[in-house]
Amino acid sequence: MIKAYATVAAISAFLISGCQSEEPSPAPLANGIIYCSEGNPDTFNPQLVTSGTTVDATAAQLYDRLIDYDANQQKFVPALAKRWETLDNGTRYRFHLREGVQFHHTDYFQPTRELTAEDVQFSFNRWLDDTSLYHTVGGSYPFFSATGLDQLINKVVKIDKMTVDIVLNNADSSFLANLATDFAIILSAEYAQQLLVVDRPAQIDILPIGTGPYRFESYRKDVLIRYSRHPDYWREGPGIEHLVYSITPNANKRMLKLVTGECDIIPYPLVSELKALNRKELQVTNEVSPNVSFWAFNTEKEPFNDPLVRQALSHAINREAIIQTIYYGNAELAQSILPPTSWAYDDRGIQYRYNPEKAKRLLQEAGHANLNINIWAMPVQRVYNPNARRMAELMQSDLAQIGVSARIVSYEWNTFRRRLSRGEHDTVLIGWYADNADPDNFFRPLLSCAAVATGGNRANWCHPGFDQLLYSAIATTNAEERKALYQSAQHLLNQQQPLLPIAHSKRFQAQQKDITGVELPPYGGINFRLATKQTAEDDSQ
Amino acid sequence: MTRYLIGRLTVFIIAVFLLTVFSFSLNYFFPGDPITNMSGVRSFQSNYPLVMEMRAGNENIATQYLHYLRHLFAGNWGQSLSNGTPVFADGFQHFMASMELIILALLVAVTLGLPLGVFAASRFRQRSDKAVISLAMIGYSVPVFWLAQLMILLFAIKLGWFPITGQINPLYGVEPQTGSILVDVFLSNSEYKAAAFQDAINHIVLPVLILAIMPMMLLLRLMRNATQEMLQKPFVKAARARGLNEWRVLVKHAIPNALQSVLHQTTLLFSLMLTNSIVVESIFNWPGMGNWLIRSIFERDYPIIQSAVLMFAFVILFFNLLVELYHGWRFPIVRHEQYATR
Repeated sequence: MIKAYATVAAISAFLISGCQSEEPSPAPLANGIIYCSEGNPDTFNPQLVTSGTTVDATAAQLYDRLIDYDANQQKFVPALAKRWETLDNGTRYRFHLREGVQFHHTDYFQPTRELTAEDVQFSFNRWLDDTSLYHTVGGSYPFFSATGLDQLINKVVKIDKMTVDIVLNNADSSFLANLATDFAIILSAEYAQQLLVVDRPAQIDILPIGTGPYRFESYRKDVLIRYSRHPDYWREGPGIEHLVYSITPNANKRMLKLVTGECDIIPYPLVSELKALNRKELQVTNEVSPNVSFWAFNTEKEPFNDPLVRQALSHAINREAIIQTIYYGNAELAQSILPPTSWAYDDRGIQYRYNPEKAKRLLQEAGHANLNINIWAMPVQRVYNPNARRMAELMQSDLAQIGVSARIVSYEWNTFRRRLSRGEHDTVLIGWYADNADPDNFFRPLLSCAAVATGGNRANWCHPGFDQLLYSAIATTNAEERKALYQSAQHLLNQQQPLLPIAHSKRFQAQQKDITGVELPPYGGINFRLATKQTAEDDSQ
Repeated sequence: MTRYLIGRLTVFIIAVFLLTVFSFSLNYFFPGDPITNMSGVRSFQSNYPLVMEMRAGNENIATQYLHYLRHLFAGNWGQSLSNGTPVFADGFQHFMASMELIILALLVAVTLGLPLGVFAASRFRQRSDKAVISLAMIGYSVPVFWLAQLMILLFAIKLGWFPITGQINPLYGVEPQTGSILVDVFLSNSEYKAAAFQDAINHIVLPVLILAIMPMMLLLRLMRNATQEMLQKPFVKAARARGLNEWRVLVKHAIPNALQSVLHQTTLLFSLMLTNSIVVESIFNWPGMGNWLIRSIFERDYPIIQSAVLMFAFVILFFNLLVELYHGWRFPIVRHEQYATR
């Protein structure tokens, strides 16, 4: 018995000594960053998805693109292509590749050569060419079909070892912008070849190889993703050795883990508790980001095929109240589907002001006095909409005032999107997050007739005149002309009102003060390329 | 003793048999294809016909059950429906992570609960006894999830002593081998083993403490009552009359006899802890069986659901068996009572 007590004493002494650790943090902690992400990635190849979680986890960390977009200078800058030129009246782009770009060395792949034109050709043909051996591996390429890039590019031609030509079917001024997105990444053709030999092609998206600033180490579902620095990175890389994504879907837990120091950076902090984060070692950054949340009407269904009904319902919604209640004021009331920061924005003042009387009158004019509708509210948090369900509840009571009774519908996120694509909804609360700086990215993936087929057009709205405007706008490179065309497009949208834009939200991120260089680019996912962690030693110097 | 042993073992084997029948029939109760529910291989996958044949999918139900048992005992528990990882290997790691938590908590509960109970009994109806016993009452009644929130608020947020999720800071790069973090740190080839070990201890303190509180308080009360009862017995009076001091009376006479009835209750304690571990693991993101079960239920991952349920039930049965066997061996009176022999 005495012995047992001694053991207890020893154990408790050990436990207590375990709690006090005031010494400087050991090397692995000082050299690594933990990012508490909100979910599991679907795959490690951003070509296959449009989901923000997957893009955040992979695109900027594992891969590089031919060109990058510099949001500060508002222009395209060289990346894997050191320069490029436009030939044949804008239907042929020639890219000169950078020499000495190394792929990741890992225990599952040892590259024998540097980046060449072959890799670029392989990466594009994967989603472009349905005869490519890898085309059916991994399924579909939603970004490329939604933007029409797979229809736009005719072929990718290798000119010599370090030169590639991309031949377009017609001139398109949004082409470079799409190339600079997180989706147009470059894979290793050599790795793909080796996997074909051992008959495991699917591994290319599970154990990824790229040229990016980090290489893949391990992934445990629901627990973590582990990356380490790519030592032979071709440009300035990160100041840390390890990057860990600690998967934490619960938003409250993410905040707590930031407070206890278990996370260095968290995305989507709860806006309602931002003030509580007012601790001196924490820092909250926000970025006006190109996004929009909207309420789309399924225009293929009665009575939403009548523009008058859509206008009436739009007048019934008190959007100012929504901005205050759902976004806590951290968003801007949307007048157009384009955010005001876009150069093609059409500033006409407030459209569809809250006016229940007018809404009632319009509804009577349209001959629908007592409507029964459903509102589909997405089940997840997104930058553009932190709480769609709550928003739907507010709208429900607004609609009740004009005699419209609304039922709120929600499913698990994947089911939700699948059913939406089948057009089962009356109206839906959803939104869009721009992938690139071109205004085209807000129109074609969301409201073109082509997008009805791919399921991106949540209003199922196909208007030939509107499509005509969009296609004229991308056929020209004259900025003034494009602006005029986009403004008439916005004007037309305003009359037709297939959807009611609600808000442009700010994107937030909270982090420890000692982390620097983590960019939240306005377009696309989080970027850890220049991330560093100041150690205690740096502070004292 | 042999008779007792055989009797207990027979009951155990019958219970396990019923358990496997239940988990086998779950495959038919879950929606979808029973073979897919068993193996995690979907009907469009290329190896499905093979799996179908291996598990005798076209034979009668009895043959299917026999094949199911064969797979079960061979450790071939199928693969996860959501990400294709083998269930048995995965389950083993989760099992070890849970056991680490539960065994440490049991240790804390026993080493603190029993002495406190004896202390309270020896001060029966005095002020210190009342203080201890009301504390035990409160500790036993507090819901685990609420207690966990309070402890997190105090120790992690306000004081910043302990982290709140996971087994270890992921930057130490300790990869799971056994699933039990303290063992994994020991097995890892990290240069910073000492620091990693300390970090793992820091992570484990809060969950262990919270898991330990309820059984500790229960043990305390049981021990107090049992010891008190013994202290009233004639043989204790006799011992006192022989002039033994109070300490010797307690240690030599009262406690060993009190332990007999308390020990029997530990089976109850164990199942209580397993139930609570589900809550604690979810709160602390501890990668144990409870967390595994909850996740699999959310994801409708049938091979994992049935394996986790099977493991939970088996662990409880097995622990009961061990306690009963030990009980019968250590206290002959138990087995004599059972068969009314002398």
